[in-house]
Amino acid sequence: MTMPMKLLVQLGWRNLWRQRRRNIMLLAAIFVAVAAVVLTNALIRGVQYDMRDSAVRNLTGNMKLYAPGYRDDPSILQGFELAEGWQPAVAPADLLGWTQRVSVPAVIMSERETRGVTLVGVSPQDERTQSFLGTVAIDGEGLRDADDGRILLGSELLAQLSTQVGRRVVVITQGADGLNREAGFKVVGSYDAEGTGLEKAFAFTGRAALQKLLDTQAVTEVSIRLNDGANETAVDAAVSHDVGALELLDWRALEPLAAAMYEYSNVAILVLFLIVMIALSFGLVNTLITAVMERVREFGMLRAIGMRPGQIVVQVLVESTLIMLLGLGGGIAAGIGLTVLFADGIDLSNFAQGVEMVGLGSRLTPRLMWDDVVLVVELSIFLGLIGSGYPAWRAVRVKVLDALRRGT
Amino acid sequence: MKTEGTVVECRGLSRTYNDEGVPVKALDAVDFSVTRGDFVSLAGPSGSGKSTLLNLIGGLDHPTSGSVFVDGVELNDLSTTQLSDLRLNKIGFVFQSYNLIPVLSARENVEFIMQLQGVGTSERRQRSLDILTSLGIGDLGERRPGELSGGQQQRVAVARAIVTRPALLLADEPSANLDSKTTSELLDLLRLINREHGVTIVTATHDALVMSYAARQVHLKDGRIESDERTAAAAA
Repeated sequence: MTMPMKLLVQLGWRNLWRQRRRNIMLLAAIFVAVAAVVLTNALIRGVQYDMRDSAVRNLTGNMKLYAPGYRDDPSILQGFELAEGWQPAVAPADLLGWTQRVSVPAVIMSERETRGVTLVGVSPQDERTQSFLGTVAIDGEGLRDADDGRILLGSELLAQLSTQVGRRVVVITQGADGLNREAGFKVVGSYDAEGTGLEKAFAFTGRAALQKLLDTQAVTEVSIRLNDGANETAVDAAVSHDVGALELLDWRALEPLAAAMYEYSNVAILVLFLIVMIALSFGLVNTLITAVMERVREFGMLRAIGMRPGQIVVQVLVESTLIMLLGLGGGIAAGIGLTVLFADGIDLSNFAQGVEMVGLGSRLTPRLMWDDVVLVVELSIFLGLIGSGYPAWRAVRVKVLDALRRGT
Repeated sequence: MKTEGTVVECRGLSRTYNDEGVPVKALDAVDFSVTRGDFVSLAGPSGSGKSTLLNLIGGLDHPTSGSVFVDGVELNDLSTTQLSDLRLNKIGFVFQSYNLIPVLSARENVEFIMQLQGVGTSERRQRSLDILTSLGIGDLGERRPGELSGGQQQRVAVARAIVTRPALLLADEPSANLDSKTTSELLDLLRLINREHGVTIVTATHDALVMSYAARQVHLKDGRIESDERTAAAAA
């Protein structure tokens, strides 16, 4: 005999409305919990992707090529030259952009102060898609091109050096021959990177101009940015196959703290969801047990007239699944609505220094991911079925005769 | 075992309950059989064992010893699921308190068992309407139990019990919640079902009126059959 699902669903649906107030309360609890989980997941994803994007945009890229040993001794002596016409082995659909940089330690001096910085020779056109330099707010001018021999400083560094845009600074660094080079640079502008860390650490000039100063054609790094949705693992494998002895490191290896936080977010989403839904499951179990115990006599009658115990169990499960689906549907719609409501982001500028420490921008934008929504649906139904399994078992545990003798 | 013409066969049937550590013998080595098409009333005072016997015949309870055969099938050998299937396909029940499904209409209650049996929609619909009409409540099919009187609910319960043409109809105190007029109507109905449809009926009752409609009266006392006789109704 097959399970009469149409009948069980019909019975389940009508039974939902027998205890209207109680079931509406339960529905409301599921609704609020699911909406909160969907919104919270979106916020956590927002934090997660903001941290990753910050890490990737802060000159790291999705992956970088270095000469072996550069990370231990980041000088031009550990530079490398790419073959003429070299392109990263990345499908055009996956590739947002790539660039070569010369990144060397340097000492920068104004008339009053001296600071240690990382001097980065860039191609400003490439950086538009590659790093924060493409979008950062600049007081003064940006660099024109790779031949631009002026210098762009962070606002904080400018302040520390007690100098101004338009003044000159002196940079001392090591050339390709191992000897020191010293040159004067005009400060073309200062950038505001929404945090002090980058502004103090990095000074930028044109790549070709810096290569000329260092007396080399070498670069120290190649940075590759991928489009959202690109399979980083596959790209990593394809690129590393193509770069010989060079070392290919993805952003996780280059920014281990951000990577750890990124992975932690995946776990946090699951843990948060389980805590909320398990708590909710207890409410579901409690309500269903009450509903089942009130109907023991009815279940006894159904069994007396020929309904199998398994069919009774399925009927209780159908009822709980229907409640769960209704609550889920409403909760997910509300969660998505709230996510859309906060789509412009939540302003965290009052906590700018704190959020910068964990690699966040000053605006937290929720990020709704359908995989998370599907996970919420799947786990909710799973937990709902587990949670209603016990009441369903209680429904058929009572002997038929004992059930029939109970008062209504 | 299946005896030709025998719907119910009980052999040495005993049922002992445990009442707070004290064994209470509700049924004591009863031998009892019902032939096909009979209308039997089990009568006796409270605690005589009539409801216990009815429950054992219906597979709602298990005997302490002895065996029950319904339409040739020994109930002791059946699993819980097989007992459900037996009740679904061979036995119709009419309960004292109607026991209709409150969220279903009268028609849907009647169709319920046919749905469990897998009967098609149109056949279900036709059979339920036919039976409700023949019981005089064809116009009440879309009402829910809460919108029906006690007598109307009991008619729906009878319709539900016989619509699948069971081998046996068991009725436990079917008149307990009905007034005498409605009881007479119900009993006329049961006699009609018994005579015209050939449905075998066994009822447990205190009610002399119910007993008077039965073709065979079995009196129980202290868990034993005290008397077993055919009545004037058998000849009527």
